[in-house]
Amino acid sequence: MSRVFITGIGFITSIGNDASTVEASLRDLRHGMVRYAPFDRENCPVKVAAPVRDFVTDSPDSEDWTIPAPYQIRREMLRSLSPNALYAACALHQAIADAGLSDADVSNDETGLYAASAGSPGMLARNLNKMSQAGVMRCPPLGVVASIAGTVQFNLVAHFKIKGASTGFSSACASSTHALGFAYDDIALGRQQRMFVIGAEDGNAETILPFASMRALTQNPDPDTASRPFDAKHDGFVGTGGGVVLVLESEAEVQRRGVTPYAEVLGWGQASDGHNVAISHPDGLGLANAMRRALKAAGIGPADLGYINAHATSTPIGDASECKAIRAVLGAHAATVPVSSTKALTGHGLSLAGAMETAFCALAMRRGFTPGSAHIAELDPACAGLNIIRQTLPTAPDIVLNNSSGFGGANVCAVLKRVSS
Amino acid sequence: MTEGSASTNAQSTKPFSAEDEAALRESLRRCSEATVNAAIAFRQTGATEHLPVIILGVVERFVDPDLRPKLADGNSDGLRMIDDLGIDSLTMMEIVMLVEEVVGMSISNDELRNLRTLGDIKVFIDCKARGVPPPAPAEHHGIESILQRMPIQPPFLFLNEAEVSESGATGKYKITGEEFFLKGHFKDNPVMPASIMLEALGQLGVFHLLTAMPAPEGQEVGTNTIFFTSSDGVRCHRVCKPGDVLTLSMKPKRVKMPLAVFEGSIRVDADKAVVAEEITLTFGFVDKAAPAAPAAASSAG
Repeated sequence: MSRVFITGIGFITSIGNDASTVEASLRDLRHGMVRYAPFDRENCPVKVAAPVRDFVTDSPDSEDWTIPAPYQIRREMLRSLSPNALYAACALHQAIADAGLSDADVSNDETGLYAASAGSPGMLARNLNKMSQAGVMRCPPLGVVASIAGTVQFNLVAHFKIKGASTGFSSACASSTHALGFAYDDIALGRQQRMFVIGAEDGNAETILPFASMRALTQNPDPDTASRPFDAKHDGFVGTGGGVVLVLESEAEVQRRGVTPYAEVLGWGQASDGHNVAISHPDGLGLANAMRRALKAAGIGPADLGYINAHATSTPIGDASECKAIRAVLGAHAATVPVSSTKALTGHGLSLAGAMETAFCALAMRRGFTPGSAHIAELDPACAGLNIIRQTLPTAPDIVLNNSSGFGGANVCAVLKRVSS
Repeated sequence: MTEGSASTNAQSTKPFSAEDEAALRESLRRCSEATVNAAIAFRQTGATEHLPVIILGVVERFVDPDLRPKLADGNSDGLRMIDDLGIDSLTMMEIVMLVEEVVGMSISNDELRNLRTLGDIKVFIDCKARGVPPPAPAEHHGIESILQRMPIQPPFLFLNEAEVSESGATGKYKITGEEFFLKGHFKDNPVMPASIMLEALGQLGVFHLLTAMPAPEGQEVGTNTIFFTSSDGVRCHRVCKPGDVLTLSMKPKRVKMPLAVFEGSIRVDADKAVVAEEITLTFGFVDKAAPAAPAAASSAG
């Protein structure tokens, strides 16, 4: 079995579109929430979102979009892009440069790409409306590939000339950690030498607001407190979007290229609640199982953990359920292992979340910090008994566990280990 | 086809409302003002003279900005959508859909397949708008077909292949370097003579007359009736040498027995090589050979 390393990352997020901005946001606990203009309408009690910075992708016509420098996208590529595929493409450019990959390193039989996204509900809705209004033959010819759930990998595999394995994952908020896990397996089993792992979401009204009626979104209109996982007043999540890319490589490739990785992926595990389509198991049963499996696969015990990046989205039921799972798995170490949710800063990125938070952990390990859990004024009693860190610590954890949970009670956890440079 | 012309007619009888104009402006908002004006005029009057401007404007909107100057050339009709304008089949769909939307007609996949050049599209849309059948698609002829029909033969034939339709012909000739006259034109510096380039255009005109000229019932253009008459406004823009592939184009401007006046041009890749405002050939009709002969030949073969 080959060891697997993270050698490059790329960020298009609500807290920064490059690693140094993201690092500053995580260290200083600067959040990405705003009063989001598209929510400023009657009958919409949700007011806050964490939109991607500098990009403007509201127009139904992608040629009207604002794409910040240094990214340039030609029309022939743009016409098949959803907003999330655009973010992912820009993040992939960043990650390729960050990992120091040549064109030949990107396009060969041993390099694949796994993406996680829910597609583009906004573009899908516009295309279907156009179909019913203007007629079946009047829809944009590339409307399908620009909107269905596989849009991110369709576009990126074609544009970046990926020759190895490619597919997409759609386990909602667990998707991109699933992508990471299966990409890890492909490298560990020798099927691929390098994998790009991508999480991406539009993060606009059409992806976020459908969560309002299930009461999953906060109606708190104050951007400074809207997302506050583990706080006594947490009352729903804030939606976000963007694209994050991780470059995973085999030990052989790391040695051949002579690069210093961000971190090693030690292993991963998954388990399902078997409980409810949309609500976490009240005792965090599936999540606890997934955490145990990840630790076992990594060959470590709870005492080895230096930090847990929680899934905690700022919903009372979800946060409490995860705290029960963490307490059950950590046992005697529950009061010492630092835990935080970076969703207090970014909001919840749905399919983006797992890859984004894994990238945060990798960045923190390389740059020597442990991100804190922002916006906690008073801890929710349901979250007591854990070492939830409210400020960023100035030291890097040696081993990190990253949790993700999605609809259907899917739970996925990954373990990363710091690489000493 | 009937469906298309029917919907066009329906369009022209329905009054063109302010909402229609707003929708039209929205659809064409990345096109030039001239395009928008032509589209409005067409929708108001149904006058087909506006169609070329509309089509050029729609195509321009989808062509890569780097390639747009090609369209400004007055002789853009011969430009091939894929090879010269970098339009892939999906972009072609986008162009067709916008044209359909703007002029209010529908184009089927079968019809779309035959549209290779900008000129093809203009002619096709014009015919549809006027409710007349579009001309037969250009027919491709390889060297065998050319050798069989042409009175001119090697070593004086300067045509390797040709595409012919009623509206014109395009052809290709690769300068091999083995042409006998290149030994002396010039000493140690083989350059295709301008006179021969004009000859090549003339030969494509001959081939057009032999394969695409409508003839009275029972008659055809006689192989031995065609001769060069005159040329006018000939300009050479580029020296052509062995290895160059000449892309020849001839379009009939006026045809009235016994004269056919063509407009000719030669390109090498994207470069303009020769322009001839007029090349006039004379021709005549002869009685068709009895159809029994080829049938007998084929049954014998």
